[in-house]
Amino acid sequence: MYETGRLCVKIAGRDARQKCVIIEVLDDNFVMIDGQTRRRKCNIKHLEPLDKVLKLKKGASHSDVVSALKSEGIEVTERKTKTKKERIVKKRKAAGEIAEKTTEEPAKKEEPKAVKPAKETKKKAELKEKKKK
Amino acid sequence: MPEPRFRSRTYRRITKKLPGGDHVIHYAKRKPGVAKCAKCGASLKGIPRERPYKMQILGKSKKRNERPYGGNLCSKCSRQLIKKEARQ
Ligand SMILES: [Zn+2]
Repeated sequence: MYETGRLCVKIAGRDARQKCVIIEVLDDNFVMIDGQTRRRKCNIKHLEPLDKVLKLKKGASHSDVVSALKSEGIEVTERKTKTKKERIVKKRKAAGEIAEKTTEEPAKKEEPKAVKPAKETKKKAELKEKKKK
Repeated sequence: MPEPRFRSRTYRRITKKLPGGDHVIHYAKRKPGVAKCAKCGASLKGIPRERPYKMQILGKSKKRNERPYGGNLCSKCSRQLIKKEARQ
């Protein structure tokens, strides 16, 4: 009953009530399906076979399945693939600082540089004093 | 003595444990009953038992199954119905 090319209706899950074709028989319980449903592995308990068998090869591509279903009068609406949006990476520093950096980049960068060596020199001076003692 | 409206059982009681170790009673309106299948009366899975104000906040997919007749018929009944449609 469940051979490649068998037209079925899915009766469970979010693809329920949609028509599909068996592409491949995996074992006694599972088959690969494609068509109006997503292309996926499926338990035969979740399928209701219909009386039609389409001419399809084992492991047929999605476009082949769509054209075969179209000849039977079953339209397959293509699902839009999601385009990945670029995520805005949140930085630890506040957003205000980043905005300021773009406007006053050279002025801001110079200041911390000037401060840092001063701190190091202080520490170094302290260490030197300790060593002397 | 609690307020007169809290003395009846129209409000359910929730005991909360405070950080200091004390127990207090909070009063809340009772939750609605479990959702039932329209055909056979079996309880529906995956449908939260919440008051309407909380159901408004939830998304559609959090309030019902994503299957056709989800949130209305149980899985067995919807399966029967879809099979019946397919065989015609
Ligand atoms: Zn039912």
